[in-house]
Order: sequence, then C-alpha cells, then structure tokens
Amino acid sequence: MIIQRYAENALRIIFGNQIDMEVHEKVRRAFFLLISLHRHDIIEIIPSFCSCLVIYEDDLTSYQTLAGLLNERLADLSAVEMPPPQVHEIPVHYGSDYGPDLSFVAGHCQLTVAEVIERHCAEIYTVFTVGFTPGFPYMGTLDERIAAPRLETPRTRIPAGSVGIAQRQTGIYPFESPAGWRIIGRTDIRLFDPARPPYSLMQIGDKVRFIEEH
Amino acid sequence: MTSAITVRNPALLSLIVDLGRTGFGAVGVPSSSALDRYACQALYCLLNRANAPVLEVMGPRFALQFDSDVVCAIAGARVKAFLDETPLRPWASFQSKKGSILRVKEITEGFRYYIGFAGRIKAEAVMGSYATNLECRFGGLNGAPLKSGDILHLEESQEIETNVIPLNLIPPMNSPHILRVIEGPEAGSFNDGSRRHFWEKGYHELFTVSTNLNRTGIRLNGTPLVFKPEAPKSIVSEGIVPGTIQIPGDGLPIIMLNERTIGGYARVAVIARADQDRLAHLKANDLVCFERITVEEGERLWREKQKRIVQLQSLTGSA
Repeated sequence: MIIQRYAENALRIIFGNQIDMEVHEKVRRAFFLLISLHRHDIIEIIPSFCSCLVIYEDDLTSYQTLAGLLNERLADLSAVEMPPPQVHEIPVHYGSDYGPDLSFVAGHCQLTVAEVIERHCAEIYTVFTVGFTPGFPYMGTLDERIAAPRLETPRTRIPAGSVGIAQRQTGIYPFESPAGWRIIGRTDIRLFDPARPPYSLMQIGDKVRFIEEH
Repeated sequence: MTSAITVRNPALLSLIVDLGRTGFGAVGVPSSSALDRYACQALYCLLNRANAPVLEVMGPRFALQFDSDVVCAIAGARVKAFLDETPLRPWASFQSKKGSILRVKEITEGFRYYIGFAGRIKAEAVMGSYATNLECRFGGLNGAPLKSGDILHLEESQEIETNVIPLNLIPPMNSPHILRVIEGPEAGSFNDGSRRHFWEKGYHELFTVSTNLNRTGIRLNGTPLVFKPEAPKSIVSEGIVPGTIQIPGDGLPIIMLNERTIGGYARVAVIARADQDRLAHLKANDLVCFERITVEEGERLWREKQKRIVQLQSLTGSA
C-alpha cells in the first residue's frame, strides 16, 4: 500500500497497478474500513480498480496528518467488517437494435452471435468500481475470447440500460449518455434512481450474472 | 411570503446550480457544482443566504420577468444587464419591481454568469444538492435546463438591503487565461520537452480552447504532449478530482470539470484549486497557458482565496 498526494485536498491509497482480484479485494476492504472511521474531515471516498481516492476537508486536517493516520489504520485489512456482496441477475435483450455491435463482436472474435451471448452469460462478474456516470458498474473479468476493442469514435448517445463490452470488461449504462464501449444488448433493469436511497443498484464488490431474455 | 419569476429567454443554456453534491462519489455521483463557485459565494453574500439554488447562465439575451418585488443579484461574467431600461452594476444586488424585466444584453468579460434572488428557488434537493446533473437529468428543475415560460417559485423571500461587491474582489476573466497547476499522478509519462513547454515559465505553450467544451470538460488545441516511449497511453481507470488535466492518446489536454468521478487517461496536472473558478470562463478560441506551482503554493493560494470570501461576507454583512 502506498499513499500519494493528489492536488491540495486529495490523496490516493494505491494497492497495485493492474486489474486483478487480489488488488480489488484490498481496495474493497480499505473502502469499507474508511467508511467505518466516520471521519468528518473525509468528504469523498472513490474506490476504483487499484486505489481509493480520498478527498478531504483541508480546514479540518492536513495531508501529513491524514496520510499518517491512514497509513496506521489501513496497515491491517484482515479484520474489516464488510457487507456481503449482493448478487444481481440482469436480464438482457441481446442483438438487433438493443445491441448494435453484437455482430461486430462476433465477427471480430470469429464466433457466432449465439456463442458470444453464451460466453457473456457464462461468467459471474465482479463490480470493480462504479463511475463514469452515476451507477455505471465496471465489471470483470470478461472471457478473453469475446474481448473487443472500444469504438474509435464514441457514440454521442446510447439508450439507458445498454450493455457494453471493452477489452476484458463489461458494463451497463444507467443513463442515456455518450458511449465508447461495444454495445451488445440492453436491460430494462434500472441501475440508478436519484430519488431513492441507496440510489445505485450496485456497489464495489457486488456480483453480476447476465441472463439472455428472448 | 412567496413570489414567482418567469423565464422569458434562457439564453444558450441556463440551469439551477449550487455548491454541489458530495459524499456519493463511490457510486459515481459527481458534484455538478456551479463552475464559478466564488461567483456563487458572492451571490450568497449579496443575498444573505447560504447554499441556495442559483442560476448559471451561458450566452447573452437572457431575460426574466418578476411578478413581485424581489431583490436579485448578478455575479460571474461581466455583463451589460438592464432592469427594464436601467443599467445594472456588475456583481451587485438590485431591487426589482413587480412586472419589471431583467435583460442581459451583452457579456463583456468571462463566459458564465450567475443570478440569484433574496428567496429560495423552489426546487427539489437530490442527494443533498440542488445542482442540475444535466447528463443524467436529475437535480435542479426536473434535471433540465430552463426554458422560456418556466416559472421559478421563490420561497422564504426576504426584504434586504442591496449591496455591491467592490472591484478589488472581482477577479479577471478574460483571455489569455494563465492557470496555475500542480503536477498530476502521471506527469512522469511525458517527455521532458513536453513537460517544459506545458508548464515552465519562459517556455509556455499557448493552447486554444476548442469548440469541444461543455460542463463535463474542456478540450484544448495546440502542440500535442508527447508520451515517453515506454509510458502507457491510458491508465487503469481511477478516481479524479475536479480540475484534473487528462491527456488522451492524441496528446491534447482535456480539463475535467465537475461531472466525472473517474478517468482513464494520463493525468499530467491538476488546476490549482484557487484557479478553478476561472474554468467557468474559458470559451472557444480563448488562449490558455499553464504555470507549474508546488502543492504547498497551491495550498497558500487557496487560503488567500478563502480570505477573499471572508472579506465578501464581512463587506455584505452576511458573515
């Protein structure tokens, strides 16, 4: 674990430099430990694949003080109490207008469309981080046999619920938004509701399985 | 006491903002705060309230009509504004009369301006903030920009004295914009020549603000930064702070504003907090250059800026 400063009022707690489950588990433990500290000087905690970004209130603390404290408190992550990961089953309409890139992915991977769907549904994915737009889960790890590159030029608008893949990841767009991932299907499940706590259907560490809807 | 205001012309874009949303970054919820927070604070001082919803407006020809007497204030970009035929001072509050019309005819310096009232615009706070998340359509007035004919209802209207922010507390907003920056986490990904031209005094590369700018980010045109041969062109996506300057594969900077919690491009630098309000005033074809400072210098500049906010509060008696 390394703590590095980032801007006047933020620090990064870094656990590795690549996407893997071991690093993810450390990030997740650190995230829930940071929450359990209930510190008034911490105003934002953003966990991602390899690190936690902490934004702090610099009227109440300093980088030196907070980094010192976190170095101590995060030294042992073995006993962190965490909520059990929720498991989400997400029904998806694959292909046609719902998934305009499905046939590209099949062609790129030299598979049939049915094989791409089968492999996308075969894995239980882990939510590594939530971001890009509110509630967007970055999930892995995608079967490398259906990995496809991002679009050269992102689409300016795709519908809410679009399911995309990019390299070894898959994700779901909670809102109509721009999108650079290959869209293979769409779900009717609502991923983010600004009117209802806890707002986001998913959080770091959750598990996801896709089910083909006919 | 309640009163109402009718939007007659929303200009290019006007929306409800405040000082932003915090605490939900872990599920990807960005701040969506007013881009010029200092101007927003100035309105709070002029109007004797804190954390109220205010309007953030882009472009001239904004107009609204008052259906009762209410104190109103404008800050941010310097504008030529009129209450009916009477010219208004910039960064000041004024008393409007029932039936009178506020018109902004021209912007003379800066880009976005802010309008607030001595009353609370009736809007729903979403996750603790009135700020509009335009992309996801929540907050503000049903998550949407204001349109002609929209009625803003004011609650808790108060009669207050009008006031003026003195010139020495109004920051410059014109091009060229010299923005101070602190090294970012991936500053080391770029070759020495690129870094020198990016932020060293005497070598300054001038960038031009492209037409590709919105509340999410500002793309700049100019000489692309060059990655070191061994440096990756994208990073494993990670949390970012507002004002982060990302460099995608084409080498041209994108300044991230207050609408993203995570980024996947190399972060060469971060705009010093004290200079972030200036980002609200970058418009297409403006010139921008960066000047590197230490993080300690950034902290010092931020403390100075906070002192100016305290000065605003004491001048207007709202402390």
